[in-house]
Amino acid sequence: MSDTTAEAPAETPAVTASVHGGGPESLTDRLRSPRTYAVLVGSLLLLALPFYLDRFWLQAGLFAMAAAIGAIGLNMLTGATGQLSMGHAFFLAVGAYGYCVLAGESSTENGHTLTGLGLPTWLAAILAVLLAGAAGGIFSPIAGRLRGAYLGIATLALIFIGQHVLFNAGSLTGGYNGRAVPPLSVFGFTFDDSELIVAAVPFGSSEKLWYAGLLALLLSALFARGVLRGRPGRAMNAIRDHRIAAGVMGVPVARYRAGVFVLSSMYAGLAGVLLALVFQRTVPEYFGMILSLEYLAMIVIGGLGSVAGAVIGAAFVSLLPQVFTHYSDSLPLVSAPGTGGLAPGEASRYLYGAAVVAVVLFLPGGLARLGLARTKKPQAPKNPAVPKQPAAPKNPGEKS
Amino acid sequence: MTTTTSARQDITAAALAVQDVTVRFAGLTALDAVSFTVEPGSVHAVIGPNGAGKSTCFNVLSGVYRAASGHVRLGDTELTGLPPHAIADLGVARTFQNLALPPHATVADSLLLGRHRLTRSGFLATGLRLPSAVREERRHRERVREIAEFIGLEGQLERPAGSLPYGQQKLVELGRALCMEPKVLLLDEPIAGMTADERRRTAAVVADVRDSLGISIVMVEHDMGVVMRLADAVTVLDFGRRIAGGTPAEVQNDPAVVQAYLGAPQ
Repeated sequence: MSDTTAEAPAETPAVTASVHGGGPESLTDRLRSPRTYAVLVGSLLLLALPFYLDRFWLQAGLFAMAAAIGAIGLNMLTGATGQLSMGHAFFLAVGAYGYCVLAGESSTENGHTLTGLGLPTWLAAILAVLLAGAAGGIFSPIAGRLRGAYLGIATLALIFIGQHVLFNAGSLTGGYNGRAVPPLSVFGFTFDDSELIVAAVPFGSSEKLWYAGLLALLLSALFARGVLRGRPGRAMNAIRDHRIAAGVMGVPVARYRAGVFVLSSMYAGLAGVLLALVFQRTVPEYFGMILSLEYLAMIVIGGLGSVAGAVIGAAFVSLLPQVFTHYSDSLPLVSAPGTGGLAPGEASRYLYGAAVVAVVLFLPGGLARLGLARTKKPQAPKNPAVPKQPAAPKNPGEKS
Repeated sequence: MTTTTSARQDITAAALAVQDVTVRFAGLTALDAVSFTVEPGSVHAVIGPNGAGKSTCFNVLSGVYRAASGHVRLGDTELTGLPPHAIADLGVARTFQNLALPPHATVADSLLLGRHRLTRSGFLATGLRLPSAVREERRHRERVREIAEFIGLEGQLERPAGSLPYGQQKLVELGRALCMEPKVLLLDEPIAGMTADERRRTAAVVADVRDSLGISIVMVEHDMGVVMRLADAVTVLDFGRRIAGGTPAEVQNDPAVVQAYLGAPQ
């Protein structure tokens, strides 16, 4: 039945699309679609980047990947289910610190006696994600009962609790100065700065992590897409659009809200683990309210409810300030810091703020709409409007 | 549509009994000890002037509102106090007076939501695209296509529901309720706001649902022509009270009904 879906490539006329039949998108259809080649070129580019970029940009890219994973999780909760969460930073912290505690060795650092379980790092990474999920599970009875903005207010509490614990549970978190993150090691391959030369390019931790990050992002995106396009996704959208109707259709609303909350906190946990690995040090003040707001900004800017929107928004929010800061010296009207004029750093922040406002104003559906509009437009004539009946004049306002 | 009819026919044979249901909203009695019984496989119309409590009645039947007292039973099963999704699980489906369709979802996806109670794939199965989830999705999409053909929307399956004319959107809602393979179907003003052509078609679909699927239908409707033609029994509400009931012909000539609609004779 999906042979004539709207996803059939633009230039394929309706007739051939229905002839091809069979799979959701047959191979010939895919080969003809320009999108296939765009994806191919894009992924080759992403794979090749570590050979050309310096450490600064690789780190920026890795932050964007981690942010994308976290944003996908938040978009399932806020975008697809309509449940606002201000507590995303808390679950990021659970993932990041959970990894440190599970993988780190007990040691003394900055006057704190740090506790560490010294588990294999790959196991610690998985357990940290599950730990974030469990933290979400503890909060899920509340998440299941509250809707929309009310949940947003309730999750604020998580931020405050989180900050308090991070600063004060010194033996676990290292207090104000945070704690060092043990490098990830999978099957004897360690993602650290030990030199590894690949094709005459020295591979440090950023280069190696780049591929781990890409893989993690790809898998998280595919999983989320499966969920959003399948039965749970339909139920989640129903809860967002018509809560009462969703219940009447047989969707257990509270259970779904709780389930999505747990899933989104696991995504945040994975993002936290990746962030910790990139930072190589976790500090408590990073996981504050601003971070939660940034994640909300990502999904709004990128596009609510879709995986692509989350990824695009995460790239926008985490890369744009870096780009502006990096090139701020060449911005017009800036003067050297301390001379009283507009400092480059400030200018970049103004520009970033203006970009955010512009996107929200002019692209209400988010940046993801841009690409969507371009690929969908040529299709309009493909769907002959209301084929069978003569288009009868309608009077929707007759009774309301 | 006929393949599963015989299997469903026997479990369908359960009457929906409403007994002394009372609903109050902060001092206002919206329903006052209302009782009626919907015979299996019949069309039962609930009529009355605006504000008579018809929609409140539907909200009690589907579990959206909780009755202050009284009972709703489907066969031997008590529905009173169950949450909406549990009532849906027992095979009670409904449509809404004002559309409750997500405008951007395709018609197919809207109909598939109706299959929710009949499907099992959860987060893990759909996220990992387990074969069981893929198979389930394919099987139910086929069934959705059959139901879309039954209500005459098979050509619109891939269009966003919001892009359809109002009458067809109401048909999509009806289709979504049918996708739940219900025993009892609650239709809240199924033909309001439709063109004459759409009214005829929808009325035919409703009659078809009763005759070929044996589903009991409770219908709130203002179009008396359709009520008189389709309904096997009618319950008349006014100010939250049941003022009359019986066959359409009996109700039509009931002085209390005439008075409720037109006012007392001078």
